Amino acid sequence: MTRRTIIVKRDVQAKGKANAAAERERLGRRGTLVINILSSPGAGKTTLLEATARHFAGRRTMAVLVGDLETDRDAQRLAPLVPTVQLTTGGACHLELPLVQQGLTALGDPAVDFLFIENVGNLVCPASHDLAEHLRVVLVSTTEGDDKPGKYPKMFRTSQAMVITKTDLLPYLPFSVDAVTEDARQIQPQLDVLSLSALHESGVSDWCEYLEQQYQRQLAAYHEPAAK
Amino acid sequence: MHERSLVKNLLHQVQQIAAAEGNGAVEEICVQAGTLSGIEPFLFQTAFEDMASPILGAPCRLILEVVPLTALCNDCDHQFEVIDFKFRCPVCQADSVHVVEGDEVKLMSITVNSEEPLDGVTS
Ligand SMILES: Nc1nc2c(ncn2[C@@H]2O[C@H](COP(=O)(O)OP(=O)(O)OP(=O)(O)O)[C@@H](O)[C@H]2O)c(=O)[nH]1
Ligand SMILES: [Mg+2]
Ligand SMILES: [Zn+2]
Repeated sequence: MTRRTIIVKRDVQAKGKANAAAERERLGRRGTLVINILSSPGAGKTTLLEATARHFAGRRTMAVLVGDLETDRDAQRLAPLVPTVQLTTGGACHLELPLVQQGLTALGDPAVDFLFIENVGNLVCPASHDLAEHLRVVLVSTTEGDDKPGKYPKMFRTSQAMVITKTDLLPYLPFSVDAVTEDARQIQPQLDVLSLSALHESGVSDWCEYLEQQYQRQLAAYHEPAAK
Repeated sequence: MHERSLVKNLLHQVQQIAAAEGNGAVEEICVQAGTLSGIEPFLFQTAFEDMASPILGAPCRLILEVVPLTALCNDCDHQFEVIDFKFRCPVCQADSVHVVEGDEVKLMSITVNSEEPLDGVTS
């Protein structure tokens, strides 16, 4: 009998991360900004995407891949507005890159300006999965309470922006925009923070302006003269 | 609860490494994970106990070491343990820091037991 210990020292997700980096590069280079939208269930992801689609209509092209455990209800809401594919995880609590790539193929891999991925409603597991996004945005709705960032540190640490949703309900709730912002910035000091009510379409144009800035920034980055 | 998908991914990598090393029985797997790795150690351990035998063909021990979350200051190069997920340099107060350890699930080593002696070795 021979017993041997083989030293590996490898990130278990190394291959997935490398695949995501390659896909991000491919999509970025051709001018598509990929945005991964995350939140707990019902924070308003689909409602915000509906408002975003209405705002960008005739100005910017976009498509949506929407993930849920079951049903195509969200896709039915978005499909009248923009090209949409429902990704059904069949019980899995998060999206992974291969399923996203299948969805993109099903869409015909369109060279849109914005590709939105609405992740499964969950503040835990999706944080650990790179979907080739350029921008990770976490939504926190006013009804969830302003103490959420500290409870889900990985989600907030890995996001570039936090969007506070359902601000129309602020008068009725003990929710402080300052408190949630401070809590989130302990974890991610560089976090961009926006707030809006998608239902009343207030703050939506600032959100779209933010996306436009990110889009222009990326375009510039890929077209720098020295870019190889 | 995505621990199952990570454990499955881990076990398939272990299987490949073991096959490349002559297909012995995998007796032990050492994994390191930090507080920002996105796994819950107990759930990871439970998923492992469930899935190791069916995938590897025999029971196997998991040594799961939880490592501290460590960051490096981008301004003053100070390395520190991140407490309570407060990402600020305790020396210069800079808030631009990056994680150097504790945000991954790392396969450290596997211990394989071959019934037959290795090629060319007689005992
Ligand atoms: N008051 C108010 N309600 C909103 C707002 N945005 C969304 N909602 C409501 O919140 C509920 C959930 O919204 P969705 O957009 O379906 O949320 P979601 O995050 O896509 O949900 P899942 O995909 O199931 O996780 C719906 O009843 C919406 O009408 C808002 O700005 N204000
Ligand atoms: Mg939705
Ligand atoms: Zn410092």
